[in-house]
Amino acid sequence: MAAEGGHKLPLYPEQIFSWLPLTNSMVMSWLAAGIIIFLCRSAAGKFEMVPKSFQNVAEWIIESLYNFFGGLLGDHLIKKTFWFFGGTFLFVLINNWLGLIPGVGTVGWNTEFVGGGKSFLPFLRGGNADLNMTSAMSVVFMAVWTFWAIQENGVKGFAEHIFAPKGSFSGILKIGMIVIFFLVGILEVISIMIRPVALSFRLFGNIYGGEQTLESLMHLVPKQIAFLPALPFYFVELLVGLIQALVFCLLAAIFLNLICDHGDDHGEEGSH
Amino acid sequence: MFTLLAAGGFSETAAEIGRNFGWKPAYFVAQVINFLLVLYVLKRFAFGPIQEILEKRRANIKEGEEKLAQIEQKLIESEKTNAALIEKANADAKRLINEAKDSSAKLAEQKAAEAVTNAQNIMAKAEEAAKAERATMAADLKKEFGRLVVATTSQVTGKALNEDDQKRINEEALSSVQSN
Repeated sequence: MAAEGGHKLPLYPEQIFSWLPLTNSMVMSWLAAGIIIFLCRSAAGKFEMVPKSFQNVAEWIIESLYNFFGGLLGDHLIKKTFWFFGGTFLFVLINNWLGLIPGVGTVGWNTEFVGGGKSFLPFLRGGNADLNMTSAMSVVFMAVWTFWAIQENGVKGFAEHIFAPKGSFSGILKIGMIVIFFLVGILEVISIMIRPVALSFRLFGNIYGGEQTLESLMHLVPKQIAFLPALPFYFVELLVGLIQALVFCLLAAIFLNLICDHGDDHGEEGSH
Repeated sequence: MFTLLAAGGFSETAAEIGRNFGWKPAYFVAQVINFLLVLYVLKRFAFGPIQEILEKRRANIKEGEEKLAQIEQKLIESEKTNAALIEKANADAKRLINEAKDSSAKLAEQKAAEAVTNAQNIMAKAEEAAKAERATMAADLKKEFGRLVVATTSQVTGKALNEDDQKRINEEALSSVQSN
C-alpha cells in the first residue's frame, strides 16, 4: 500500500499492536540483529586456518575494523573493547542500510482516530530513525565507557583525570590551579553527561533526515514516477549510512581514548 | 537518559522532547536489550572465533618468519662454511700440486743422476772389461808371440833357449811391437 497520509514522516515510532509495546522500528532493529546473527552463525561453524569464500569476507571485515579502531585506541584497549566498537558499527550500519530498502517507512496503513483525524502508520521504520534505539546505544556506550575508564584508571585516577590540575605547580599558583581545574572538571562532567544525548540525536537526526528527504522527494512528482527524484539520493543515503555508523563509533572510540589516555592531552576533550 | 535529564531539573523540557520523539522507557529498555543481545552474539559467534583464528594465523606467520630467518642464517653460515671448505680444498690442492711438482722434479733429478751414475758405472765396467780383455788378449798375444819368437829363434839358431833367453827375447820383441 502506498503512502497516502501526507508526506511527513513522523518523528516517533509507531506501536504496531496496542496491547504490546512493540514498535515498527523495533521490528527493523530485530531484523538487523537477525541478519547479523544469521551471518555469524553461517560463518561460525566453518572457520578454518585457510579461509574460504564467506570466511574470507568475514575476516576481511573484522580485521579491517580491528585495525581501524586499533589505530585509534592502541593495542591494549582494542583487545578488550573491540567487541563493542565492531559490533556497534555493524549494527548501526546494517540498520541504516535496511532503512533504505524501498517500502520501509512507505508501506503501512491509514488509521482513523476516535477524536477524528487520520494518520499513516508504516509497517517498518529505520532502526536508527528511532530515538529509543540511538539513545539505547549511547547509554550502553556510556555504561561501558565508565566501566573501562575506572578499570584503566581506578576510581581515584578517574576522578583525578577529570578534576586534578595537569602539570606541576607550586605555591599560590597551585591553589589557583586546583580551583580552576576543579571548575573545568565540573564542565567536563557536564560535557560527559551531554555525550550520550549528542551521540543519540546526531545519529537519529541524520538518519531521520535522510528518510524524510527521500519521502518528501517522492511526493514532488506523480506516483508513477515517484521513485525517480529519490533515486540519486538513495546513493547519497547509502554513503550517509556508512558515514554515520563511522562517526558514531569514532566519537565513542575517541571519548574512550581520551579518558584512558595517560598523556597530558586532556584539553582536547573539551572540543567534543 | 531523559529520566536522568528530568531528575537534573530539566523535567519539562525532557518530557516534551520525550513526547515529541516518542521516547518511552519500555521502548528504550527493549532497544537496550536488543542492542546488548546483538553485541553478545557478535562477540560470541563472530569476533571471538575470527579473532582467535587471526591470532593463530599471526602466530603461525610469525613462527614461519622466525624459521625462515633461522634458515636464512643457517644458509649464510653454510655458504660461509662451504666457501671456507672450498678455499681450504683449493689451498690443499695447490699445495699438493706444488709438492707433486717439487717431488717429480726431485725424482727426475734423482733418476737422471742415477742414470748418469749407472751409465758411468756401465762405461767404467765396460772400460774395465775392455781393459781386462785387452790385457787377456795382450797376455795371450804375448804368450803366442813369445812362443812364436822362441820357436822361430830355435829354428833359426838351432839352439834351445833357456827361460832367461826366452824372457829377454819376448820383452825385446814386445817393446818393439808396442813402440810401433
